[in-house]
Amino acid sequence: MRLDGQPGEVIHRGTPLTFTWNGRPYPAFAGDTIGSALAAAGERVFSRSLKYHRPRGLLTADGNDPGCLVQVDGEPNVRGAHRRVSAGMAVTAQGVWPSLRFDLKALNRLAGPALSTGFYYKTFIRPRRLWPYYERVLRRFSPGGRVPSPSSPAGRYEHRYAHPDVLVAGGGPAGMAAALAAAEAGARVMLVDDQPALGGHLRWGGPDGLAALAQLRAAVAAAGGIEVLTDSVVTGQYEGGLVAVVQHGLPGLTERLVKARPRQLVAAAGLIERPYVIAGNDLPGVMLSTAVRRLINLYAVRPGARAVVFTANDDGTAAAADLARAGVDVRRVVDARDGGDIVRVRGRGGVRAVECGDGSVVRCDLLVTAVGWTAPTGLLTMTGGRAAYRAGAARFVPTELPDGVLATGGLVGDGTLAELIGHGRAVGQAAARRAGRTAPASPVPDLVPAPHPELFAGRTNGFVDFTEDVSTKDLAAAVAEGYDSIELVKRYTTATMGPTQGKLEAVNTIAVVAAATGRGIPETGTTTARPPYAPVSLGALAGRNYQPVRRSPMHDWHVAHGATPLVAGAWIRPDHYGDPAGEVRAVRQGVGIIDVTPLGKFELRGPHIPDLLELLYVNRWRKLAVGAVRYGVMCTEDGVVFDDGVTGRLGEHRYLLTATSSGAEAVGEWLERWLQTERAHWRVHVVPMTDAYASINVAGPRSRELVRRLTTGIDLSPEAFPYMRVRLGEVAGVPDCVVWRIGFTGELSYELHVPAGNGLRVWEALLATGVDLGVRPFGVEAQRILRLEKGHLVVGQDTDGLTQAYSAGLDWAIKMDKDDFVGKPELAWQRVRDGQVVLVGLQPADPELVPPESSQLVEGDRRIVGRITSSRFSPTLDRSIALGFVAPDLAEPGTVVTMLLPDGRRLPARVMPQLAHVDPEGKRLHG
Amino acid sequence: MKLRRSLPRPARYSGFGLLRHALGGAPWPPVWRRHDLRDRYDVVVIGGGVHGLATAYYLAANHGVNNVAVLERGYLGGGASGRNTAIIRSNYLTPEGVAFYHRSVRLYESLAADLNFNVMFSQRGHLTLAHTDSALRTMRWRAEVNKLQGVDSSLVGRSEIGSLVPHLDVSDRPRFPILGGLWHPPGGIVRHDAVVWGYARGADAAGVHLHQDTEVVGIDVTGGRVQGVRTNRGRIAAPAVVACTAGWASTVCDLAGVALPITTFPLQAAVTEPVRPFLDTVVVSGTRHVYVSQTDRGELVFGAAVDPFPSYSSRGSLEFTEGVAAHVLELMPALAPVRILRQWAGLCDMTPDFSPVMGPTPVEGFYVDVGWGTYGFKAGPVAGETMASLVATGKTPDLIAPFDLARFTDGRLVGERGAAAVGH
Repeated sequence: MRLDGQPGEVIHRGTPLTFTWNGRPYPAFAGDTIGSALAAAGERVFSRSLKYHRPRGLLTADGNDPGCLVQVDGEPNVRGAHRRVSAGMAVTAQGVWPSLRFDLKALNRLAGPALSTGFYYKTFIRPRRLWPYYERVLRRFSPGGRVPSPSSPAGRYEHRYAHPDVLVAGGGPAGMAAALAAAEAGARVMLVDDQPALGGHLRWGGPDGLAALAQLRAAVAAAGGIEVLTDSVVTGQYEGGLVAVVQHGLPGLTERLVKARPRQLVAAAGLIERPYVIAGNDLPGVMLSTAVRRLINLYAVRPGARAVVFTANDDGTAAAADLARAGVDVRRVVDARDGGDIVRVRGRGGVRAVECGDGSVVRCDLLVTAVGWTAPTGLLTMTGGRAAYRAGAARFVPTELPDGVLATGGLVGDGTLAELIGHGRAVGQAAARRAGRTAPASPVPDLVPAPHPELFAGRTNGFVDFTEDVSTKDLAAAVAEGYDSIELVKRYTTATMGPTQGKLEAVNTIAVVAAATGRGIPETGTTTARPPYAPVSLGALAGRNYQPVRRSPMHDWHVAHGATPLVAGAWIRPDHYGDPAGEVRAVRQGVGIIDVTPLGKFELRGPHIPDLLELLYVNRWRKLAVGAVRYGVMCTEDGVVFDDGVTGRLGEHRYLLTATSSGAEAVGEWLERWLQTERAHWRVHVVPMTDAYASINVAGPRSRELVRRLTTGIDLSPEAFPYMRVRLGEVAGVPDCVVWRIGFTGELSYELHVPAGNGLRVWEALLATGVDLGVRPFGVEAQRILRLEKGHLVVGQDTDGLTQAYSAGLDWAIKMDKDDFVGKPELAWQRVRDGQVVLVGLQPADPELVPPESSQLVEGDRRIVGRITSSRFSPTLDRSIALGFVAPDLAEPGTVVTMLLPDGRRLPARVMPQLAHVDPEGKRLHG
Repeated sequence: MKLRRSLPRPARYSGFGLLRHALGGAPWPPVWRRHDLRDRYDVVVIGGGVHGLATAYYLAANHGVNNVAVLERGYLGGGASGRNTAIIRSNYLTPEGVAFYHRSVRLYESLAADLNFNVMFSQRGHLTLAHTDSALRTMRWRAEVNKLQGVDSSLVGRSEIGSLVPHLDVSDRPRFPILGGLWHPPGGIVRHDAVVWGYARGADAAGVHLHQDTEVVGIDVTGGRVQGVRTNRGRIAAPAVVACTAGWASTVCDLAGVALPITTFPLQAAVTEPVRPFLDTVVVSGTRHVYVSQTDRGELVFGAAVDPFPSYSSRGSLEFTEGVAAHVLELMPALAPVRILRQWAGLCDMTPDFSPVMGPTPVEGFYVDVGWGTYGFKAGPVAGETMASLVATGKTPDLIAPFDLARFTDGRLVGERGAAAVGH
C-alpha cells in the first residue's frame, strides 16, 4: 500500500522503525502517524464505536479523526492520525473485548433498535435495587482508553509565559503571510500550528502548492522576530486576551503550556472538511477528500484500490486526480454540482459498494466525499465573537470578532493562493499596527466564502456524530420527543459532546435538527462553544507542581535539634522536641522559647488606621495609646468569629497587627477588600510582614530575666513595661526589633519580632544566655497544652463556621455602643436571643481520660447538647482538661454532662466555673 | 406525606416498551408539549430548572393544583440545573441542613420510579479527604453529628481510602498528604438533565404548561399583593408566583420589589474526555479545593470553590483549569495524560449564611425558592416538594421554616458554611 516517493512526503524512508499494534509488530517510517503507518500496512479498522461497536477506520486522517482514537502505552484517547509514531511505541485499540477484530460487544447491534438514543432514561427503572447492577454493565460500555496505573511514571510538563506582539493561530498560507507582514513591521510574532511543519493545506495540495510553500517557509525562517511553534495547539483565548497554547514534541518534555498575552491574536485556523451523512458513512473505507490527499501526498499511502468520489467542489476533483495518480482505480466521480448524489454505502466491516442517486451500484473499497467545509469559529465565539450562517456558502462565518482578535484565511473566506496570502499580509500589517508597530495601512482585501451547495445529510439514516454513535434517526427521534432546541438535542443525544468537540459534527447536527424541526439553520442556531478549543491534558495545565513550603529562619535549627515537623498550612513547624509535657513544665517553672514566625503580621501606616480597626474588630481602638497593645476579635458580617490577634501601636500612624497563623492570608485579603472596595477613601497602607519578621515568644516566670539580658534601650521593669505594652529596641545586638508583652500561654511572656535575617541569631542567643535559667525550646503541641490550661480559645478550633462572638465567651470584647463594625447587626440579635450554645471549660470525671476532640455531648439517646472542641492531658494539673460548647442550660458550673466518644462510650464530665483550668485569676500573667 | 393522586401518565417507559417501540417502529410521544400562553394560571413558576419543575410537578402530583405555568427564559434545564456537577449527599453539619438534605436523598432514591424516568442516581459513595489535623477534626465532628442523626457517615483511614480509590496517592509523598476521610456511602451522582426532564415530563402529564423561550420582564404587584407577571409573550394573571431562579434571583425578585441579600458568584466546572471507569466514588478535597467524580459515560467531572469575586460571567477561565489540574494530580498523579474537554461556569446566588431563601415574601402571593449558592441541585426534589406544599396550603413546612426571608431581618441566620464551602 506504500507508494513510491511523493514530492511532498513527510516520511523519512531512511529511518524505518517498528512499533506494536495490539501486541503485533508493525513497520513504519519516522514521520508517519500511527494511522498512516497502520494504513500503509493494510490495516483499515482502528477502533470500535461507542454504542454498537461498529468497526471504524480513518475518516479525516488528522487530529480530528473520530475513528482513530487509540491507547498509546499508558496514555488514553491518543489521536492516532495525528500522533507521530516512534520506535517501540505500544499502540492498542480501546474498549474492545476480547479483540478489535472479534469484538463481542458488537452483539449490541442485535439490540440496535432498542438502544435508540436516550434508551437508558427509559429503562432500568424498576426494580430499584437492580439499578446498581445495570449501571455496572452500562459502565462497562463507556468509551475511552485506560488511565495509567497509579504506579506508572509521570510525564514531564511545564509552563512558559510569553508576551509576543502578535500571535498567529494557524500556519497555513494566510497565517504565514500574516506572521511575515507583522514581523516585517517589527512586531514580535508567535506562529502556532498543530502540524509538525508549517504549510496548512499547501503541504498536501499538490506540486504548485509545494513550490509556494517552500518560498513561504524560507521567508519565515529568514524573517527575524517570528517564533514558530509547530505540533502545538492554541487551546483557548481567555479573559484579558490570555491565549493558551499547548506545545508537544519538545525534547525531554511531554507537553508545555504556553501562556501568551499577545497584543493581537490572528486566527488563521483554516477550514475543516465535513463528512456526508448517509447510511454506511462510518464504514472503514469512507474518507474525506482531505484525508485521502493527506495519506497520498504526505505519507505515500494508497488509501484503497477502487474508489468512488462524491464531490461538490474542486477539492473533490483534485482528490480524484490524486487518487488516479496514486494508482487507485477511480470507478466513478459523482458530482453534486451536476445533480449527482449517493444514497448508501454498502459493506460489512468495510466499504464494498456505493449506491448512487441514479440507482446504480458501484463496487469499490473506498468512498471519498467532498461535500463542504466548516469554519472553526469556536475560538472566536468563545471569547465574545459571533458567527452567522451563510446559506450560499453552506457554512458559518465569523461576523463579529472579539476585541484584540483578527481573522484571516479559510476561516474568513475562500480565494486563490495569492488572494489568501494577500489577505493574510494585510491582516498581519493591521495586527502589527494595533500592537503599536508602524506598518503600511493597506486596506484588507475582501475574502468571501465561495458558493457551495448545501449538502449535509442524504436520504438515508447515517451517522452524524461518529464518536457518540448518534445518527440522523436519533436526532429526529429526539426532536419528535420534544427535545427540540439545539441545546436540548445535544444534551439528550450527546451529539457533539465527544472528544472531537463537535468540530466535525456540529454543523451536520444543526442541519439535521433544522430539517427535523422545520426551522432553518440560522433559526436553529449553534450550541455555545466552550473552552478549551482543543482538549488539554491535566499534566499540561498543572505544569510542574510547585507547592510553596514556608520555613522560619530557625527551621534548620529545629530540625538539627530533633523537632518533629508539623504541617501547618504552607508552614512546617516544630510540633515538639521529643517531650511536650516536659516543655510545658519548663514554661510553667522557668522559661521556654517558641518559634511563632508563622503568626500573621501586617504593618499598617496612615491616618485612618483607627477607623479601619474600629470597623473590622468588635472592640474599641480609638484610644489605643502609642506603646499599647490590645487583643482584638474580628467577625464576618454574620457575626461569626473570623480571626483574633493583638495589635500594637508603634507610632502616631504606625501599627503592627497580628492575625492567627492559619488565618493570616484571609485576614490580609479581608483588610484589602474593605480598604479597596468599601472604604477606598481611607488612607491606610497594609504591608504584609509575616515573613519579614522572625517571631519568638519567650514565656515563663523567668522570661523577664532572660529578655533583660539581651535587650538594649528597653526598660523591662513591670512598672515601665507592663502587660499589653509594646516597645521598640535592640535584642541581642539586632536593632529594629518589636517587643511586646502579652501572654497566650498564661505566663509572663514577651514576644520578639526580629528582622527575619537575624532570627536565628536571636534564637541562639536566647538559648545560650538562658542556660542557667533552664531555658528550653517548646513546640506547637506544648503551646496548645499551655493555652488550653489557660483557657484561651483558638479560632477555628474552639469556634466554627457557626460560632457568633457571644457564644465564644467574648462578651467583654464586643462593644455594641460603637457606631458600626462588621457583624454588629447580627451580634445585636444574638445578644438578646435565648438558647445560644456557650463555650465552657470541662473536666472529665476520669482524670486519665482525654476525650477525642469533636466528641459530642448528648442527652438521652441521641440529642446533641454540645461538643468537645479541645482536649489535652494537662501536665500542670496531672489530669485531662477540655473546652467545649454546651447548651445554655448546661453551662452552670458543676453541671455534669455526658460525653459520647467516637468509640461509643458514654462518660461524664463536669462543667468548670471558667475557661481557664490553670491560674484563672491571671496572677502569673501580670507578674 | 400526602396521598399521591393518580396522574394521567404519558407512554410508560420500560425495557419492554423500548423493545416494542423498536420492533413496531412507532415514535415515542413527546416528553412535554408546547402550549399557548393562557391569560391566567393559578400558579406561575418562574424558572424551568429542577427547582421550578419540581415545584410545579409536586403542586400537581401532591396537591392537585395543575393550572400551573412554568416560565423559562431559555430552554428547560439550561441554567444552573444543567451546569452543576450533580453530586447528591446528606452529610451536612447543622440539624436543619441534615434533616433537609436527608429528605432530598430519600426523594432522589425513589425519583426514577416516581417519575418513570431513569435519573441514573448512582449511590456509589462520597468521600471527603482531610489533609490537615483541623480538617480531620471537623470531619470527626460531622461524622459524630451524622451518626446521631441517622446519616450513614464515618471517618476512614488511609488504608480504607486506598482501597476505596486505588488511584489516590495515600503516601507521604504529596505536599499535603491525605490523613483521613469522611465516607458517606449513600452519596453519589445523578444525571442532572434527566432529573430536569423527568420532572418536566411528569409535570406536563399532570397538566402543567411548560413555556420555554418565555422571559419574565415584569411582576405586577398591587396593594402588596401579586397580580401576575408580564412576559415577552404577553401578560399572565396569577394569584401565586413562585421565583425559582438561580443566578438571577436578585434581578427577578427586584421586579416584584423584593430585595434579597444575595451576591452572585460564578462557579466553574470542567469535564474530561471519557476514560474507562476507575473511580467509583465522588472524591472531595476541601483543602485542595477540588471535587472529582466519574460519570457512567466515563468522563471525569471536576469542580472547585466559587470564583473569588462576584460576577455574572459564565465563561471559564484558564486559571481555574490550571488549579483544578494541579490539585487533581496531587491527589491522583496518574491522571496527567487525561484531557479536559470542556469547561464552563454557572452562577451561584450566595446568601450571607450559605443557606437558601425559601418561603413567602412581604409581597402576598409571591414566593421565593432562591439563594441556593453552590448546593441547589442536590436539594431540587425536597425544595419542590416543600414549596409546592407551601403554595398549595399556605403553611410553611417545618423543613424549610429556618430558611425564610425574614431571618435576615430577625437575626436568625442558619449557617452551613462549615459544610458547604467546598462541600460537594
